[in-house]
Amino acid sequence: MMGQAAVGVLLVVICALLEGVAQVFLKKSVLGGVRWLLWISCGVVMLLAEKVIYSQALLFLDVGAAFAISSLNLISITFMSRFLLREKVTRTRWIGVCLIFVGVALVAART
Amino acid sequence: MIRNNRMTTRKNFPIRLAVGLFVAILIDTILQVVWKSAVLSLPSDGSPWLNVRAVLHSPLFMFVILLMPCQFFNWLMVLRNADLSFAQPVAALSYVTVFCMSVFFLKEAADLVQIAGILCVLVGVWFISQTDHLTQPKEREA
Repeated sequence: MMGQAAVGVLLVVICALLEGVAQVFLKKSVLGGVRWLLWISCGVVMLLAEKVIYSQALLFLDVGAAFAISSLNLISITFMSRFLLREKVTRTRWIGVCLIFVGVALVAART
Repeated sequence: MIRNNRMTTRKNFPIRLAVGLFVAILIDTILQVVWKSAVLSLPSDGSPWLNVRAVLHSPLFMFVILLMPCQFFNWLMVLRNADLSFAQPVAALSYVTVFCMSVFFLKEAADLVQIAGILCVLVGVWFISQTDHLTQPKEREA
């Protein structure tokens, strides 16, 4: 049986993944394909689903903790950009993303 | 040396992208601060129905609702001109601006750990800014 905090953490991690998928859909919608409307619709649905799940997560976690964990979306977005959109993610970009992740987590964890 | 070469061969940064990222950070900052102010103006002991009514009658919430589509369409414009893995981390600068606005306008407290976090974000964005903003189709690896 999972504790309430563990459920909250799990929900926020799911939100980070959903945000990554939603942003990939939005990026695909502007790449000039014929199915741009489908991609944009999927992106909006994913973003809405993420907001609903995040609201549920806030029932189990403090806002500061939830916000800190949700900064994982930077990592998930970078991974998905690399492997789903085939963007060129250099080591410099990875260092930047990791620093931002740590920075956001530090700021949010104290709120 | 290799890193210097990588930095000097960066492609030109389009003004449209710079403006789009600036607007994205600006709207996000205004949204967060106004949203927080709007939430604080709600009756704390009200029922959910009273809160919904208060939201519908609050100019601050109306402003937030108006800004959201602007933010969305501006973001699409940014994505049209930049990699997702470039734009999203740069837009994280809004964490810095929201933090500063919270401290200066909402009079929220800040400590050394948070300031260290802000510095981390700034250095991270600087690293991102040293990379190409857009992967060309021929550069996309299989």
